[in-house]
Amino acid sequence: MAIIEAAGLTKTYRVFQKKEGVLAALRGLYKREYREVRAVDRISFAIEPGEMVAFLGPNGAGKTTTLKMLSGLIYPTSGEARVLDFVPWQRADLFRRQFSLVMGQKNQLWWDLPAADSFQLHREIYSIPQAEFAKTLGELTELLGVAKLTRQAVRELSLGERMKMELIAALLHGPRLLLLDEPTIGLDVVAQAAIQKCLRDYHSQRGVTMLLTSHYMRDVEALCDRVLVINRGGMVYDGPLAGIIEKFGESKLVKLQFEGPAPDDLGRFGQVVRREGPFADIRIERSRVSEILSAVLDRHALADVTVEDPPLEEIIAKVFEEARLDHDAA
Amino acid sequence: MTPPDGLAAQTAPAPSSAAPLLVAPPLRQAPPRGPIATLKKHTKIVRISLSERMTYRSDFLLGTILRFLPLVTTILLWKSIYESSGRSELAGFRYREMIAYLLLTHISRMFSSMPGLAAGIARDIREGTLKRYLIQPVDMIGYLLSSRVAHKVAYITMSFLPYMGLFVLCRRYFDGFPDALTMAAYAASLVLSFLVGFFFEASVGMVGFWFLEVTSLLYIVMTLNFFISGHMLPLDLLPQPWSAILKALPFQYMAYFPAVVFLRKITGWSLVLHLLLELTWAIVFMVLCRGLYRLGLKRYSAYGG
Amino acid sequence: MLATVAKYLRLLGHLARYTLNRELAFRGNFLVKVSVEVLWLGIMIAFYRTVFARTSNVAGWSEPDYFFFVGCYFTLNGLVETLFFENCNEFAELVRTGDLDFLLLRPIDEQFLVSLRRIDWGTAPNVLMGAALMIIALVQKGWEFDLVRVVTFFVTMACGTAIAYSFMLILTTFTVWMVRNQSLMEMWWMFSSLARYPKEIFSGRWAEPLGNFFTYIVPILVVSNVPSNVMVRVLDPYMVVLTIVAAVVLLWLSRRFFQYALRSYRSASS
Repeated sequence: MAIIEAAGLTKTYRVFQKKEGVLAALRGLYKREYREVRAVDRISFAIEPGEMVAFLGPNGAGKTTTLKMLSGLIYPTSGEARVLDFVPWQRADLFRRQFSLVMGQKNQLWWDLPAADSFQLHREIYSIPQAEFAKTLGELTELLGVAKLTRQAVRELSLGERMKMELIAALLHGPRLLLLDEPTIGLDVVAQAAIQKCLRDYHSQRGVTMLLTSHYMRDVEALCDRVLVINRGGMVYDGPLAGIIEKFGESKLVKLQFEGPAPDDLGRFGQVVRREGPFADIRIERSRVSEILSAVLDRHALADVTVEDPPLEEIIAKVFEEARLDHDAA
Repeated sequence: MTPPDGLAAQTAPAPSSAAPLLVAPPLRQAPPRGPIATLKKHTKIVRISLSERMTYRSDFLLGTILRFLPLVTTILLWKSIYESSGRSELAGFRYREMIAYLLLTHISRMFSSMPGLAAGIARDIREGTLKRYLIQPVDMIGYLLSSRVAHKVAYITMSFLPYMGLFVLCRRYFDGFPDALTMAAYAASLVLSFLVGFFFEASVGMVGFWFLEVTSLLYIVMTLNFFISGHMLPLDLLPQPWSAILKALPFQYMAYFPAVVFLRKITGWSLVLHLLLELTWAIVFMVLCRGLYRLGLKRYSAYGG
Repeated sequence: MLATVAKYLRLLGHLARYTLNRELAFRGNFLVKVSVEVLWLGIMIAFYRTVFARTSNVAGWSEPDYFFFVGCYFTLNGLVETLFFENCNEFAELVRTGDLDFLLLRPIDEQFLVSLRRIDWGTAPNVLMGAALMIIALVQKGWEFDLVRVVTFFVTMACGTAIAYSFMLILTTFTVWMVRNQSLMEMWWMFSSLARYPKEIFSGRWAEPLGNFFTYIVPILVVSNVPSNVMVRVLDPYMVVLTIVAAVVLLWLSRRFFQYALRSYRSASS
């Protein structure tokens, strides 16, 4: 049975229009104008226990809103969802005990207290038995390498360390479902890697289901097999990560290193993305890669060649671009 | 338990919160082009704030209603005091005069209160933004003063209507306006009250050169000031020697003095003398302020800022 | 049921301990806060001493009676400020930043978390100071011990605190809809200024209905008036019952309103 089931989830809300000037403000006292924003538009999907799924989408696509609906924080305008076999926005106590929501760059821990105190409070709030608590805490602090920092006030920690503490707090009560909203945003590469590793290990140890939103392809590639792409509130793609590259990755990035300075007539082969000294990167249609490569080799001396998939970001951006065109056409 | 800082707005539905929120405008190379430019800017800001306020209607409504309550209870309290005492006059104040006095002290406070002044100076010192005054050819105190003047003018202009409304409502507590000479003296006392208030708080702010937590000191001073300035009751009501002591201190100019000038409790040469005394105190604080500033700067540069 | 109560009490104990640690870490600040409160009480005493030098009673309250009233008010206000005020003040910020969501995620009653998250130890001494003033007033009055009065006093004090808390919660809840952070502190101070004086000052043609309004419809006057009356003046059983009923009703009402506001927050936010 699916751990998350969403059917036709929709969220619209009103934004009040503020007009300029005192006269308009006076009028605003008894009559207000607003426009409707559709943050999430009839999203449906199902997630099985143990899956690690990524939510991708540009800013304002509706990822966070969807996560909040699944956590029960906000009511949907229409549509249904079942999470852990509960209706999330009814917010049953038992429901709240079984999942965690972690939001990047937002602090759930008590700011002035040492993390250890926050953890104690957590223990009390979630009614975690003392032995289990001590064991889990030990494991997690070990895993993330922050055992020495728990007695320091949270506000004195670096962003990376704070995020790790957040993660620990989220995992202390052994949730079955972990929702993460941009967990590694703003972190340096080392901290990102540490968190990714922790999540992977935790997943393999405990089989926790994870749903995470992120901007960073590295997170997605490191952690998730399945990707849900959202744009402007609507679901654009739902499937394995590799599928995106296949489906949307029409071009390849050919990186060339010439013996001499790179020639400036490469534009006829494809889109020149970069040309610096001996280096040149060209975007070429998949089907024409070999043909063009041989043409280049004929004309110039090459020191090195690599053929890559374009960065995932680009592919995703393209997906959004297409989705937007479809959306506007529809 | 302590009353909030913006006490000047206690009795009127004025956008008092707009005042403390105004931040000193960014520094320009030359000294600010007279108070007119800053006045215009502040007026605009205050007007926008007022418009903002009205946009949030329940906010506005609730705030307006709640602002009247303390005034009502104060009037009722003094009515009871007078009735229970069985006397028509307490320390030379009749009941109506007492209420008039309390309303007038709010006007005085409107001129003499300097929300955020000392704290701003202390913050500039603490955070090192003081440097800009050293680098650029602007006198910090002069700048702050003109900024405050503009701010006050804008604020008073904005509060004028609501306060007028209030005074019309309460007109039976007043015997109309006093004669022109008294009004002139009153106006003078208000202007001087502004100067006393400004230089006093600025001096406290300057203590920030030596004492990092000067805002705590300020908090204590301002709480005390609430009483000894005569804001709660006329200083004449206090027993001797307290009455005499407090009337010799400069704090009375921040609330008590202008109010009693208006009520013609001080007249003739006594009035002139007291106005001169007020002027003297303003000068004393100004000298103190400048002196502390100079001393503080020496210390500040010595520490490398 | 009992286990839940025990759990909440334990949680409160943790919160109290942690906030005390935090407060003591900023010792200077703490001392300043306490000094200001002491000053404030001093000012109130000075004010009323001045008044009572010129009159033997105010609205029928003799000097020791009135000072008992002042002490009672100070204690009550101290209780409310220590336990609830800082939290309610922060509520608007929580709504604005969306951090309220984190409180909603916990399997703990949201009202509990919103109201009791932090204990403001800086105002805790007020309770003691107010109590001291009350005791001094009783001694001055030559008050005779009466168990019934004392018990009823504590009951009505508790009810008064509950009523004051309910009003504070209602005012706080309004901030969910107010987009800008109207200073709760200002609003509360103005509202509570009503409870600062004996009801008897509301006399006269237009004041008396106002006084009745604030006793029976919006019972803020009851908060400090009834306990004081019970102890040093007339123990009116009707007023005692009114206070208890008002406390229960208001607690229920404020809670419902709060939950309604949360639902609205959750419908409107994204």
